[in-house]
Amino acid sequence: MKIDCESYPLLGGFDELLEAPGKPRNGAEGLCDYFSELPTDELEARHRAVDAAIMASGITFTVYSEAGNIDRAWPFDVVPRIIEKAEWDRIEAGLKQRLQALNRFIDDLYHEQKIIQDGVFPAEVLADSKNFRAACIGANPPFGVWAHICGTDLVRDGDGTVYVLEDNLRVPSGVSYMLENRQLMKKLFPELFARYDVLPVDDYTAQLYDMLAALSPREGDRPEIAVLTPGVFNSAYFEHSYLAQQMGAHLVEGSDLVVLDDDCVYMKTIEGLTRLDVIYRRVDDDFIDPEAFRADSALGVPGLMRAWKAGKVGIANAPGSGVADDKVVYAYVPQMIEYYLGEKAILPNVPSYLCMHKADCDYVLANLDKLVVKPANESGGYGMLIGPKSTAEEQAKFAELIMENPRNYMAQPTLALSTVPTLCDGVIEPRHVDLRPFILQSKDVYVTRGGLTRVALRRGSLVVNSSQGGGSKDTWVVQGAI
Amino acid sequence: MLARVAENLYWMARYLERAEDTARLINATTMLLMDMPRGASFGWDDLLRVVGLDKAFHQYYDEASEAAVMSFLIQDERNPSSIFACVRLARENTRTFREVLPRESWEWVNELYLYTSTHLTSALDRRKRFEILNEIIRRRQAVVGLLAGTMSRDEGFQFMRLGRNLERADMTTRVLDVSHAINVPYQNSHAALKLNLPDLIWMSVLHALSAHQMYRRHVGVHASGHKVLAFLLNDLLFPRSVRHCLHEIQFALGELPGVEPMRHLQGMLDQVDRADYRALATSGLHAFCDDLQARLAELNAVIAQTYFRAAHPQKMTQSLFSLV
Repeated sequence: MKIDCESYPLLGGFDELLEAPGKPRNGAEGLCDYFSELPTDELEARHRAVDAAIMASGITFTVYSEAGNIDRAWPFDVVPRIIEKAEWDRIEAGLKQRLQALNRFIDDLYHEQKIIQDGVFPAEVLADSKNFRAACIGANPPFGVWAHICGTDLVRDGDGTVYVLEDNLRVPSGVSYMLENRQLMKKLFPELFARYDVLPVDDYTAQLYDMLAALSPREGDRPEIAVLTPGVFNSAYFEHSYLAQQMGAHLVEGSDLVVLDDDCVYMKTIEGLTRLDVIYRRVDDDFIDPEAFRADSALGVPGLMRAWKAGKVGIANAPGSGVADDKVVYAYVPQMIEYYLGEKAILPNVPSYLCMHKADCDYVLANLDKLVVKPANESGGYGMLIGPKSTAEEQAKFAELIMENPRNYMAQPTLALSTVPTLCDGVIEPRHVDLRPFILQSKDVYVTRGGLTRVALRRGSLVVNSSQGGGSKDTWVVQGAI
Repeated sequence: MLARVAENLYWMARYLERAEDTARLINATTMLLMDMPRGASFGWDDLLRVVGLDKAFHQYYDEASEAAVMSFLIQDERNPSSIFACVRLARENTRTFREVLPRESWEWVNELYLYTSTHLTSALDRRKRFEILNEIIRRRQAVVGLLAGTMSRDEGFQFMRLGRNLERADMTTRVLDVSHAINVPYQNSHAALKLNLPDLIWMSVLHALSAHQMYRRHVGVHASGHKVLAFLLNDLLFPRSVRHCLHEIQFALGELPGVEPMRHLQGMLDQVDRADYRALATSGLHAFCDDLQARLAELNAVIAQTYFRAAHPQKMTQSLFSLV
């Protein structure tokens, strides 16, 4: 049996590879031909080889469960997602624009708050923000940039429009999977790469290094850079060590660091203490400094905030940048882009209803069965209501939650997320996907070529999160088929 | 280099060396068993004593039968020095410093772990034991070779070199120590059977340390006591001799800051250099090995104190536990 594009059961929404049964999109012809020609047993053999490779390389994430923490390999699907370069260029420009505006916004919030004075952004949203850190007021990180690494989730609706779903500005993860997925594809389908000009993704770590190095408070060619991890039991530990390895940086835990009276940060080494210049922290604000934030945190470094505010250490992302990682703040990004940059947003937001506005709130409450309701400050797909898939009981519970704290909720229409052909039990079927590109900003702005495509492996599911049955795919930005 | 990372590297190397040495020891013992006259009972307790696990073993088992001892040494997780436990700990350690090693080393250590966890139970069976333990040795050697061929001789490399050689020197003294213990009962049977058994015992000691071939090539065909002792304790060129291990430690320490460990090392070099091996072959070997082991344990503590202390302001470190 062969995998046949003709019989591929399109769902009626937008498919990333096929326009219609048997009709590949521009750029996807070579890929569809290839998979049509590949015998099923050969495809499955390669799929098994992928699983073995993942197992061997220990590309894992940790799932917390009652039975203890288990390392699980993140399922990888062998059919790549393709984006044409021309379309990608527009998306890339939109992502750069967005992060630049967000950084202007964060810097403004911790200084004069002009955007509030000018009536563009409501003061009450800021007043209720969980992630606004008073301790950061007046701080001046280099280049006025706070969010140095951003993972922005993009989705495509049924009509083909690409929307921004959310901006992850705290400790976005997943970039290591993007890099690993490409390595896997190269090993397993070398002949496919001969048919395409796929833009490479592996300069990310060099770009990340340069971005971090630009934050160093000291002159010199080789600043001391470290990735700060919560430790080996964190679900993204694989990524933390991967990035440190790729950058030649240290991988440190809070207990490896100390801040002395000179406000400098030091690493505890075999020779005593060595000064550290830049920290890429993968620990949430709450935990980075027990002196400034949660006193019970064992993951952080006492005095880190002091060192950062004194300009003695660079921290990415800067403490307090999570203020813009809020699903209500998100709704104002198009206005921010106009306000700070004087430009129209290149990438649209998903239409959003903010429950803090009476009219929106009434609409949301009356349409809970149709909308996706999200709390402002959660991530990982937790605490959401997916209206069309929910029970009356769940809807009633959410109605109560919303009325209790309208500021904390927003709702969006349920999008018909686009699909990509995916190998499921020996058959290729459509599965829903999103896309998380990563954007870097310090001295310059950089966007990964493509990003991490997450796929909901369960039939009909729209939830792509790794912790909830999602997998991933390689993402190809292509110049066009040969 | 971070003190915590240095400590984990040191211990990763020790765990892997211990796993391999135990596998070699078990293989040699299994071979030796088949050479013994039928009806002669093998001293399983002696084997446990070699690896310093006799007390730990008797916490869980009454009688030291072949099945129980093999299970304890090979796969029992309650034994922190079992092959499985060592490989698992080495893998857990490697996870915490993947950034300092060449990328494949994690993959290979992980594969070693996956192989070990799926095959070890079969190694309890004498027929499959040799093959499986050899595969573990092969995979472990592949990791060593990979590091030798791809890793800069930086501080991280030196800490692994320290750990590997300290562990190996320790194992050599332990195997020698027990040779004394198993020699005595067999000297009696030797007389009865008119077999050249002491020769066989010393040969088996060489086998246990994978030293027989190099011994024959560089010393001679016959395994006489004092020559075997001089070879395993004081040979400059054989990589498992105590002297060679001490030299490796010396080179590693020379690349690292701190003077205290080097001072301790000198005393041990003098000890193996000045020993009277002819006399030791007939008496005093046990005390000699005991003393060497105590000095190695002391060196281990000095290394921990010199390099790893910063990582542990208060709590007890794994390096402060005594050897084995």
